[in-house]
Amino acid sequence: MLTIDQLHARVEEKEILRGISLTVNPGEVHAIMGPNGSGKSTLASILAGKSDYEVTSGSVTLDGEDLLELDPEERAAAGVFLAFQYPVEIPGVSNTYFLRSALNAVRKARGEAELTHNEFMAHIKSKIKLLELDNSLLSRAVNEGFSGGEKKRNEIFQMAVLEPKFAVLDETDSGLDIDALRIVADGVNALRSEDRGFLVITHYQRLLNYIVPDFVHVLVEGRIVKSGGKELALELEEKGYGWIEEELAAKA
Amino acid sequence: MTEATLSMNSFETVFQTVRALLGATGADLSVRDAAWSRFCAVGLPTTRDEEFKYLPLNRLYETVYGAPHGATVSREQVAATGLTTPAGFTLAFLNAEPAPELSMACSLPRGVVVTTLSQAREEMPELVEKYLSTVATFDGKLGSTNDARFVDLNDALWQDGAFVYVPAGVVVEDPIQIVYVTTANLGPIMTQPRTLVVMEQGALARVAECFVGLEGQAFVNPLTEVVLGSRANLEHLRFQDETLESVHIGNIFVHQEADSVYSSINTQFGGDTGRVDLNVFLNGEHTETWLDGVVVGAGEQTLENHTRIDHAKPNCNSFEVYKNVLKDKASGSFNGKIFVYEDAQKTDAKQTNQGMLLSPTATFNTKPQLEIFADDVKCTHGATVGQLREDALFYLRARGIPKDQAQALLVYAFAAEVIEKVKVDSLREMMTEKVRAKLS
Ligand SMILES: Nc1ncnc2c1ncn2[C@@H]1O[C@H](COP(=O)(O)OP(=O)(O)O)[C@@H](O)[C@H]1O
Ligand SMILES: [Mg+2]
Repeated sequence: MLTIDQLHARVEEKEILRGISLTVNPGEVHAIMGPNGSGKSTLASILAGKSDYEVTSGSVTLDGEDLLELDPEERAAAGVFLAFQYPVEIPGVSNTYFLRSALNAVRKARGEAELTHNEFMAHIKSKIKLLELDNSLLSRAVNEGFSGGEKKRNEIFQMAVLEPKFAVLDETDSGLDIDALRIVADGVNALRSEDRGFLVITHYQRLLNYIVPDFVHVLVEGRIVKSGGKELALELEEKGYGWIEEELAAKA
Repeated sequence: MTEATLSMNSFETVFQTVRALLGATGADLSVRDAAWSRFCAVGLPTTRDEEFKYLPLNRLYETVYGAPHGATVSREQVAATGLTTPAGFTLAFLNAEPAPELSMACSLPRGVVVTTLSQAREEMPELVEKYLSTVATFDGKLGSTNDARFVDLNDALWQDGAFVYVPAGVVVEDPIQIVYVTTANLGPIMTQPRTLVVMEQGALARVAECFVGLEGQAFVNPLTEVVLGSRANLEHLRFQDETLESVHIGNIFVHQEADSVYSSINTQFGGDTGRVDLNVFLNGEHTETWLDGVVVGAGEQTLENHTRIDHAKPNCNSFEVYKNVLKDKASGSFNGKIFVYEDAQKTDAKQTNQGMLLSPTATFNTKPQLEIFADDVKCTHGATVGQLREDALFYLRARGIPKDQAQALLVYAFAAEVIEKVKVDSLREMMTEKVRAKLS
């Protein structure tokens, strides 16, 4: 489904991604772990189409379609979703209005009919329960005045509403207490399906107890330096990122 | 001949035409002649005049405007501009002449009058003369004086307009809409709409003044006077949507007695050049004044707002929020004067003014001007100029909302604080739609 091939990217003069290759097949959950500043969010942002980064070489395709050629909204319509590490506050725009505009825009781009008000409300009410969010959130402005945990849950709620084909979760676990973490994980697990792929970015292993990945990749300084099964996450947790760095140094 | 004299000649021609028409009706011309000579003494302003620094009036110099002429326009043509007509009383004018074919009468509470000034002057002359031209003046007011030349011009040239009267204690539930439609389909014209709103003590009403241009180059120079008796409450919506070849220079004067509430929502969308001066004089204690505004400028429009609040009495509150959205090469400006008189202790005045520039070629100037002569007062002002937030734009687009729509949504969000104060649903939706349409 998603194929990243030898992706190099930089911001201003600084090279951040230095040749990332990764394939996520339908139904798979891949975790990306790595120290701060290793380029995890950069990768996530490039997948979603943020224009601050310059892709210098390499390619990204989703079901064979060149993602890098598409505008962010076209990527969303193609089924890409990014749960932001830092969700943006948008005063003056209500969550309901925002979600409705998003869902209808995506449906329209896919050639599907827009939902009626009642259909839409029924759809979001079922999803809001899933994330154990309060209905009052719908009339509030997007992320405005939300607690850290509410913002993260709101990201997963949006994902549940938009039902993407491929989702990237960028440190959705950071700043969550254990209850919120479980709710978020349940929300993600409920969406796991044979035809949907996930890229779960995290700094800590903890989340992966709840969202059990099929593969774990370690990102250091813009490169995937190690890949393995879910046990790699445990190993990392135990030995720390220093272990990988030492291993790399020994090899060099 | 220079442009300036050429232009003044065309004003002179219009004055003589109007004067002859008024003379034929037996009107008292001395007031007109006095106003005309005050206008002529200063003439048209240039950007060297402090009050017109950011408002190039080239069009007024270069265009030969004729006196307004009759025209035929259908309701559909007016509706096609996007103007909505809420349920309630609509009094319409076409090229400043009464237009019953565009009006919509409905029953009003006992004693309430909504009619043309010409008719009101015949039927209730004492009431009209008691207030007409008495509010629109800077005489006796403190501080650096404003520029009154366009007020004088209207005083000299106006022919008809709207009169709204709400007697003491009467509540008018439905909005009263006053529409000034201008069409310069036979060449450039100048019009001088005139409105007088009188609310006796404890009266409550909503008045929407809408200025809509259909075609051609017009110079629209309206003057509105509002009198609020004690405890009166007026919600005053103003909607400026002239043609993009027109010049609109509007003056509003408001006089508030004790415990009255004046809420203005002043919006400008149209006109090549648009300016609104809103002057509020607080003549009693414990009044509330809400001045909110939205400007959306695109292309090469120049749109400005000048507000002035005279806090002449103690214990009055005024709150001001103006939002300016400018794209392309549009330029906007805001000048907010607040005068706090020596007596006006415990004044609470808050002024906020924000500009959002959607392109690097758009410009915005802002000038708060507080002159405070009392010591125990709370006066704050804040101005910001910014761009559309890139992070918010990306967030919306990443959720599938196309760029244009995302931009419009963010701009709307910026202006929403003001637009959402419009309580009449259909008028609020009209504003929202105008914002959207202008930005896409
Ligand atoms: N927009 C940007 N401008 C400048 N430097 C950036 C920008 N985005 C990321 N970087 C730099 O790129 C590196 C990787 O950042 P990031 O992708 O956020 O890492 P991670 O998410 O793994 O913590 C960091 O050194 C960061 O400072
Ligand atoms: Mg990050």
